[in-house]
Amino acid sequence: MFFNSIDFAIFLPVVFVLYWFVTKNSLKLQNILLLVASYFFYACWDYRFLFLLIFSTLLDYFTGIKMGQSEDPRRRRFWFWLSVIVNLGFLGVFKYYNFFAESFAQSLSLLGIKTNFWVLQVILPVGISFYTFHGLSYVIDIYKRRISPEKNFIEYSVFVSFFPLLVAGPIERATHLLPQVKQKRFFDYTKAVDGLRQILWGLFKKIVIADNCAEYANNIFNNASGYSGSTLVLGALFFTFQIYCDFSGYSDIALGTARLFGIDLLRNFAFPYFSRDIAEFWRRWHISLSTWFRDYLYIPLGGSKGGTWMKIRNTFIIFLVSGFWHGANWTFIVWGALNAFYFLPSMLLNKNRDNLGSVAAGKLFPSLRELFNMVLTFALTVFAWIFFRAENLQHAGSYIRKIFSTSLLNKPDKAAFASTQNNIGIMALLVVFFIVIEWLGREQQYAIATFGIKWPRLLRWSFYSFLVFLMCMYMSTSGSAFIYFQF
Amino acid sequence: MEKFIKQLLVFGIFTVASYFVLLVFWGEFVPAAYTKNLNYSLGAYGHMYTRTREAEKHEKVDILFIGSSHAYRGFDTRIAASYGYKSFNLGSSAQTPVQTKLLLDQYLDQLSPKILIYEVYPYTFTNDGVESSLDIIANDRIDWNALQMAFTINNIKTYNSLAYGCYRKIFNRDKKFTENTVIAEDRYIPGGFVERKITANGPVVNGEKKAAWQPKDYQLNAFEKIIELVKKKGIKLMLVQAPVTSSAFAMYTDNNKIDSFFSKKATYYNFNKLLSLSDSAHFYNKDHLNQVGVKIFNDSLFIKLLKK
Repeated sequence: MFFNSIDFAIFLPVVFVLYWFVTKNSLKLQNILLLVASYFFYACWDYRFLFLLIFSTLLDYFTGIKMGQSEDPRRRRFWFWLSVIVNLGFLGVFKYYNFFAESFAQSLSLLGIKTNFWVLQVILPVGISFYTFHGLSYVIDIYKRRISPEKNFIEYSVFVSFFPLLVAGPIERATHLLPQVKQKRFFDYTKAVDGLRQILWGLFKKIVIADNCAEYANNIFNNASGYSGSTLVLGALFFTFQIYCDFSGYSDIALGTARLFGIDLLRNFAFPYFSRDIAEFWRRWHISLSTWFRDYLYIPLGGSKGGTWMKIRNTFIIFLVSGFWHGANWTFIVWGALNAFYFLPSMLLNKNRDNLGSVAAGKLFPSLRELFNMVLTFALTVFAWIFFRAENLQHAGSYIRKIFSTSLLNKPDKAAFASTQNNIGIMALLVVFFIVIEWLGREQQYAIATFGIKWPRLLRWSFYSFLVFLMCMYMSTSGSAFIYFQF
Repeated sequence: MEKFIKQLLVFGIFTVASYFVLLVFWGEFVPAAYTKNLNYSLGAYGHMYTRTREAEKHEKVDILFIGSSHAYRGFDTRIAASYGYKSFNLGSSAQTPVQTKLLLDQYLDQLSPKILIYEVYPYTFTNDGVESSLDIIANDRIDWNALQMAFTINNIKTYNSLAYGCYRKIFNRDKKFTENTVIAEDRYIPGGFVERKITANGPVVNGEKKAAWQPKDYQLNAFEKIIELVKKKGIKLMLVQAPVTSSAFAMYTDNNKIDSFFSKKATYYNFNKLLSLSDSAHFYNKDHLNQVGVKIFNDSLFIKLLKK
């Protein structure tokens, strides 16, 4: 059940009505409803993996309680590692086994040793990377005595499985979400309207910008050898907008949906393409994952407190693991390493916290320096996305070689844009429209959070209706799944 | 909460109204190349506009032909007449069972055929039916059946085109349109057949093998309803696979499965197996017969019909 499907358009109002009309007087009933709805939502993807989600929930719930009951460090350590190993074990088997088996076999074949590893023919359970990290953060926080274990199984299960965040995040923390799950929730008109507005913008990003850009990006990346360097640059640009609008669009819908139920989720994106350096980019891109790695990996490894080499080591570890988290492919690891290289100079020069606020705060236009920095950061990001999108390292290598060939100076190939149902001129206008709205709303939680908020209602509603119209007129009818569902 | 629901409803109504206004504006003033999900082409490929206007006034027939472009380019009503059959051809481009059902609902009673010859190109059953729905919305009348078709296909292009088509028809915006009998190399023959001027096929280009035949559920459902409707009316039904070039037919998959499926439903002939035609001499492209091929195909068909 995709967020941008008719199924979800029916599912959401039904759950909303039951939640606020039928179960509104009982927190327990509200949570049970959310849990049932969440499991139903997940089962619509693949009911066979529901057991895995329930098992993971049970495991973390019980190990959490066991750690809370014991003062013996050895026993606490035992329950902690049991949870970590089993959780990562499932993730490893489903997501990484084939990668390790194949990579190991390839390494041995280089030495002349032929092996035949058993390759698992399994599909990746949707959301496993996300709910595993939910559970891990909970278990680590209990082990570190930052929180007490949750005794109420329903409430804990809602924390892990709340449907808006179940399949692609944001990766929540027990300290943030659990108190909201345990607290009586009241309907808040402003919050609900804000949620709907965020859903609207998220849908626009996904079905208009991301899905249409995907048609061009897929065509160009899949037929890269036949196109000029300039066309490949456009292909990389299309993918850059695709992945941002796809994932941030998903996150907007998730956050907006949660707000309809009176729950605030962690912010996941903060206009990353307006960043002035890579450090700022990473504070604004997939924030819930970046902060997860910071809190549960980077800081335990010593963070930036040690010497220079320790800083470098930790930076590489966190970026490589982050790349690997995305998928079992060397392309993601190189993408992570490349970002580590991008990040190092500003960190070593202690300039990685230079740009903490919003660019050109309170102004309409950025300064020339800010503009230059934004363009440079954006260009570096676009380059890194080539690895992220490529099928394998050879594909990425040949793609980049073609870009830096003389054909970079050729006109982009018309054939690359003719094979889709889109008109490239309209697509360019839509992307410009999107960038302008994002720029105007860059100091808000999401682009249209306060856009036109002071306008007369008729004008404001006209703008929202116009967005609905643009969606229906220019949405991609071929559709595509959210990219991050595969992670 | 009450305020929220009320505001949501008012906003919903406002959005629907604004949507229609914008849709009409886009349809009227924005060039077709820039209206991605709105496609309203009067007199598009295949003379459907002329065909439906003629069908509305046509008298009862012995044979009604229906199906995709293989039908309106393959069943020549003049040849049928030479065998003593009054006929009409209701074929349309890329027509899938959903559109066939719609056209039968609209015209079957009026044309009241004794025999329905239904050209079943198997890959229309795997098609989403959007392209054909746009052709029919623009060139046929819009009624309850058209709305049902739109719901079945459930595609934003079909919905947009249907809504815009309603506006065009209500405000009589299509009244000045006339479709020429001859468009490029096609000549519309009264009775629904379209004759192609070119008589020889170009060099044979091998395409890709088609994917396994997996009809869409709603197309199968529409097909079953067609069979039921025709049986209920007591009309003889003949299912026909019109010939394509041997190189194109070689790219089909699951031929036995397809033949078995259709032969269980009604009298069925696969002319790809019954005729031995030349790819160059009897076709003008890989999928469509030229007039020489049409004559051979039709003669063979009517001889079978007379024998029965």
